[in-house]
Amino acid sequence: MGFDYNSLLAFIIFGVTIGVVYGIVALGISLIYSGLDIVHFAHGEMYMFGAFFGLVLAHNVGVPYPIALIGAMVLTALLGMAVERVFYRRLTRAGGGYTVAGMGMIICGFGMSVALVNVAYFIWGAEAEPFRANLDYIPRLSFPGDIEVPESYVLTAIISVALMAALHYFLRHTKTGLAVRAVAHNKDIAYLMGINVPLMISLIFGLACGLAAAAGVLIGPMQSVQVEMGYLMLMKAFAAAVVGGFGSLPGAILGGIMVGVFENLGAAYISPSHKDIYAFLLLILVLMFKPSGLLGVEAKVKA
Amino acid sequence: MGILSSVADFIDSLAKRHRLLPWLLAYALLLPLPFVLATLFNEYLIDLANRICLFILLAVGLNIVKGFCGQVTVGHIGLYAIGAVTSAVLALEPGGFGGALGFGWPIWAAIPTAVLVTAFAGLIVGLPSVRLEGAYLALATLGLGESVRIFIAVTPALGSSTGLMMIPSPSIGSFVFDSFTSYYYLVMTAAIIGIYFSFSILRSATGRAFQAIREDTIAASVNGINVVKYKLLAFVLSAVYAGLAGALFAHMPPGYLHHNNFTVIEMVTLLLMVVLGGIGNVWGGVIGAIVVAIAYDQTKDLVFYFMDRPIVIQPLVFGLSMVLLVMFMPRGIGGWIEDFQRNRRFIRRSEERLGGTARNS
Repeated sequence: MGFDYNSLLAFIIFGVTIGVVYGIVALGISLIYSGLDIVHFAHGEMYMFGAFFGLVLAHNVGVPYPIALIGAMVLTALLGMAVERVFYRRLTRAGGGYTVAGMGMIICGFGMSVALVNVAYFIWGAEAEPFRANLDYIPRLSFPGDIEVPESYVLTAIISVALMAALHYFLRHTKTGLAVRAVAHNKDIAYLMGINVPLMISLIFGLACGLAAAAGVLIGPMQSVQVEMGYLMLMKAFAAAVVGGFGSLPGAILGGIMVGVFENLGAAYISPSHKDIYAFLLLILVLMFKPSGLLGVEAKVKA
Repeated sequence: MGILSSVADFIDSLAKRHRLLPWLLAYALLLPLPFVLATLFNEYLIDLANRICLFILLAVGLNIVKGFCGQVTVGHIGLYAIGAVTSAVLALEPGGFGGALGFGWPIWAAIPTAVLVTAFAGLIVGLPSVRLEGAYLALATLGLGESVRIFIAVTPALGSSTGLMMIPSPSIGSFVFDSFTSYYYLVMTAAIIGIYFSFSILRSATGRAFQAIREDTIAASVNGINVVKYKLLAFVLSAVYAGLAGALFAHMPPGYLHHNNFTVIEMVTLLLMVVLGGIGNVWGGVIGAIVVAIAYDQTKDLVFYFMDRPIVIQPLVFGLSMVLLVMFMPRGIGGWIEDFQRNRRFIRRSEERLGGTARNS
């Protein structure tokens, strides 16, 4: 049996679609990193909460899927802002990044992650719940060589691109977006320019958590929704963010796609049971040989 | 304060005679612990004491790289797993259950080999630290640690879902360490020696180099400290602790090893120990390990019923307490210890100056 190019193409297509979702979560992580100089270890839980909010809205409230998506994004953004305001602000004000406070922030994020998982467990229980969404109005895509892409994957691709375009427009072409970028660049100067820095930080957090929620709702129909889904997603999103260059927004998407494709090809051609390790392998390789990532800027060491 | 000061004075006077005397005294005081526990409470607490000793080793080891050298690593539990699985696989008889690997080595060869393998793994974990700082390093180590666990979980030769069973117990001559009480002497000795060496490292030139790197990497390198070498050394030393703890854990009765022992929850518990103890303080780490391990054990079966559903609240409590600790008590127990020591030093100096009246005034 010769090499099957059709299945290779299929693996790449599915890898790209799932990778775009990784990329959206990675976007949020990158956004928080560039804005606050911290790595948010509880971001996977925001994704999980987003998925559950979407599930509750779609099943229990009964709104259509796109509205559930938007509702979940708003709810999770509010949750993220509340968490930031109550818990993180105290720590980030002391200084993030490479300082001792940065170490505290990492530990705090870990604790928050564990706490949030168990809050969700408290509310929704441990069972995996299927996310049934009526997506009949989305066309199935057919590729040459009998490859059919299911509706949920098509929808994921469309919404992801739309979200990225919206984020790009917001950051580059609005006044608030300019303020956000100013805060990411230098908080002290942003203060001097009359920008409400704490508000912008809240906004960054809300945006990042909203993106994670969108990823959760998008991935819901492909896999089931369960309390522990956040952790692996976090790892893969980290890998994506690092591969693309931490803090770089296009890099996050590129990294996500790379992780998705890499992991699908590894699962297909090396060993399917080790699927979850490939993302880490990529992460470690990139960190060891090009820590700034593919599109990142070289991190400066401050004396 | 009064009792604490007199205890500290007594320890100081012992240490003046010979620096090992306080350690020997501590060892002698800990010797009858299993019998006290068995008569006052039950056998189970001895098992808990054993696990506390292992956690002390882990926490003290993590403190070397995190507290002394200031490198943020969150993959320590992966090293622990490497030590445990290596030692178990080396010591198991070939052809075990479920396709588990086995080499049938004698245990006293398996444990040092496991420690060496873990030290090498620590070197690999440490390699990113040469180029990465803070957040990046945390990510890299997290990735490494977690991939170790997943690798164990999906590889049948290393136990996968069933775990490794019938791991032999170590023995000296005809004396076999196969009960909780006898194993206690093994792990307690290891823990005491581990703490002692941790202090030795802290007070040596190596320890000072670690602290210089922690305070300011650039200033340290300007002062002629080989930053790369010492960062890697810190990782290797802490990996030796983790490997020893892991190997001892593998051979602990009942000789069963499962990858569930190396999850994120364990990592969080370990981090909580170090944070509660105060990052960088050895005794703080030890006390943190004891407190957290007891709390972990006692709350393990605490179930809360919410809408007729049993909810294990322990992880929630642990996660939240970690957040609150970092927020409101960033120096941990170690902060109290340092304050206490500073006070004592201040009082002693004042006494010398005033002729022995400062304490009463």
